[in-house]
Amino acid sequence: MSTTTLNEIPALGKLYAGAVGSAAKSRLSSAKGPSVLPADRHEVRGAVVDLAKLTDFQRLVLHSATDYLPTGYVHTFAFPVAMSLMAREDFPLPLLGMVHLRNQVQHFRPIHYTEPLTVTAWAENLAGHRSGTQVELVAEVSAAESGDVVWSGRSTYLAKGVFLPRFDRQEARADRPDFVPPQPTAMWRLGADAGRNYAGVSGDFNPIHLSRLSAKALGMKRSLAHGMYLASRVVADTVQNREEPYEWNIDFESPVFLPATVSLSIQDAEEDGRYAGSTFVGWNNRSRRRHFHGSVQPLSAAGAVRSA
Amino acid sequence: MAVQPKAEPAATGGNTSAPGVRKAVVIGGNRIPFARSGGKYTYSSNQDMLTAALDGLVARFGLQGERIGEVAAGAVLKHSRDFNLTREAVLGSALSPETPAYDVQQACATGLETVVSLANKIKLGQLDSAIAGGVDSASDAPIAVSEGLRRALLDLSRARTTKQKLAAVAKIRPRDLSPNAPTTGEPRTGLSMGEHQALTTAQWKITREAQDELAYNSHRNMAAAYDRGFFDDLLTPYRGLSRDANLRPDTSMEKLAKLKPAFGKSLGDEATMTAGNSTPLTDGASVVLLGSEDYARDHDLPMLANIVDAEAGAVDFVHGKDGLLMAPAFAVPRLLARHNLSFDDFDFFEIHEAFAGTVLSTLAAWEDDEFCRTRLGLEGPLGSIDRSKLNVNGSSLAAGHPFAATGGRIVASLAKMLHEKGSGRGLISICAAGGQGLVAILEAR
Repeated sequence: MSTTTLNEIPALGKLYAGAVGSAAKSRLSSAKGPSVLPADRHEVRGAVVDLAKLTDFQRLVLHSATDYLPTGYVHTFAFPVAMSLMAREDFPLPLLGMVHLRNQVQHFRPIHYTEPLTVTAWAENLAGHRSGTQVELVAEVSAAESGDVVWSGRSTYLAKGVFLPRFDRQEARADRPDFVPPQPTAMWRLGADAGRNYAGVSGDFNPIHLSRLSAKALGMKRSLAHGMYLASRVVADTVQNREEPYEWNIDFESPVFLPATVSLSIQDAEEDGRYAGSTFVGWNNRSRRRHFHGSVQPLSAAGAVRSA
Repeated sequence: MAVQPKAEPAATGGNTSAPGVRKAVVIGGNRIPFARSGGKYTYSSNQDMLTAALDGLVARFGLQGERIGEVAAGAVLKHSRDFNLTREAVLGSALSPETPAYDVQQACATGLETVVSLANKIKLGQLDSAIAGGVDSASDAPIAVSEGLRRALLDLSRARTTKQKLAAVAKIRPRDLSPNAPTTGEPRTGLSMGEHQALTTAQWKITREAQDELAYNSHRNMAAAYDRGFFDDLLTPYRGLSRDANLRPDTSMEKLAKLKPAFGKSLGDEATMTAGNSTPLTDGASVVLLGSEDYARDHDLPMLANIVDAEAGAVDFVHGKDGLLMAPAFAVPRLLARHNLSFDDFDFFEIHEAFAGTVLSTLAAWEDDEFCRTRLGLEGPLGSIDRSKLNVNGSSLAAGHPFAATGGRIVASLAKMLHEKGSGRGLISICAAGGQGLVAILEAR
């Protein structure tokens, strides 16, 4: 597998602008390219976090402004490298309009904000989905000096309505059992500006998050909260021991249209009297629809010993 | 090396105080009547009210010009300019200006914590006399500018060049101009205290009727206590009030039953908490005079009760393990175990009525076999409390609840009740924001 080294973390704005261009182009040519993922990896070496941006992010997701990176922030930091892959001409799915389905993250050790980091991203597991085609983007963050992997994230995206010839259309899932909301442990009141605020700290200015007008232009009834805002905030609340390796995952179900009140429940589990992880679920109490659910767990000792 | 024999227990013996430590006694208390927010004390500041409560105490016990060992008090809703609130109140009072003071803040446990920490200093011999207290104004609450405006103003004050100043001002957005008023919301959950309690109330299946009954008893008991003059030497009138403005002597179960639910409507369960069985936002202040036995004797002052011991607790409400206001359910059994006492050893129970549901959920937890086994590590239920010993002169549902002033109100009232009875013990339980609680034992003298 070849590796393309980028000089710096790409700016998301430029990638989106490029995506608008290529979307227009593909509409003209009506073909996006081959049904295979680029075999190339994109890499940025020795990137360093901007402290002011980090602090703004920490404040927004109600994480204490410590000298260590919230796990959600590492995603935000590494995500543009993965996105630069998706913005390539030879990427088989259109970048714009991708739906974020899932995140699975392993956080191996606390990451100090001054540490130079190497971000490597690649795409894998192109697969059919009942309403389109899904793909997984992996971003791995390692300490530039030692090469040890400190954080690894796998994000699953869905290109809605895009069916590639090589992949069978998946059958519709059997109906989910009705969601019965548990007792909430928290309630988030998100203003109409929640998307703009998160765009400001993450650089993710996807128009569907910015305003009602810009969201409508892309076919949404209202603007919606960033999945990674919800994930970063709930995981910041849920993680108990940031010193030890842990993993977390989140599945996004229905979008959070802004402004919104999100009911949340966090539950801890114990095994043999010891903390064994937490589960969380967020929902809309009016519609009783689930927005997201996931879990946080300490990583087993075996899983924690891992280097590049 | 020779082993030192353990010090003898204090003279009156038993399990009252740690060995080798002298006693701390409650000499008396004073408070101003509590007013509903937006009522008689609308334009009185925390400092005004605390000074008024202090001056009433000074007058009652002849402390004019006295140098008290230390005064500790606090407020929950506190202006940043009031960094030395208690010291400023002392300077404005008739006490000697050479009386030192410090501020304490532990949400609704503030008042009781000042009593506990000062009593400990007396027990250790650091102090001979002390005044504990608390004050809160929901009317004169601090209002903060928004975070955006605050940061821009701070950047502006640090800016040196015109360019830097313009850059700081340019960061202000129209939405930054709306101010932030304080709320009773928990910062980590976004739920108000009432919403949190509504969840706990539903979890323990506390009925609307049981809550209304507790509220009714609180008003009835407090009205009766006023009528027989119980509060005559515990209160100093202020700003036209001589009784707690929230007290409704003529309330009835029928009237309480008519009130619409105020909390828990959006939480999906049947809402049972109303303005009648929840405490209103309140303004007020209270203080308690503490001393060593020698201090009281030397100054010819009464000794109402001993401050025996206290225990703080906290629960993980953020992850929903326990209700926000349930910490006392854990602190009380620890305190009882330390003194080898059971509920039968108490004559009075003062369980702060933040909400009727809080008191009833706590009682239900102590009666619940599974909760007591799995969460408290006991062999069975901690036990039931004889309702005729509970909040016998009314509590916060009747008096109102100026957050930091509630501890002083309860300690002074309970000490007087114990002294009137002439024997026995009283248990105090106060829940607080942030999932905290503070509980204490007093014994009669």
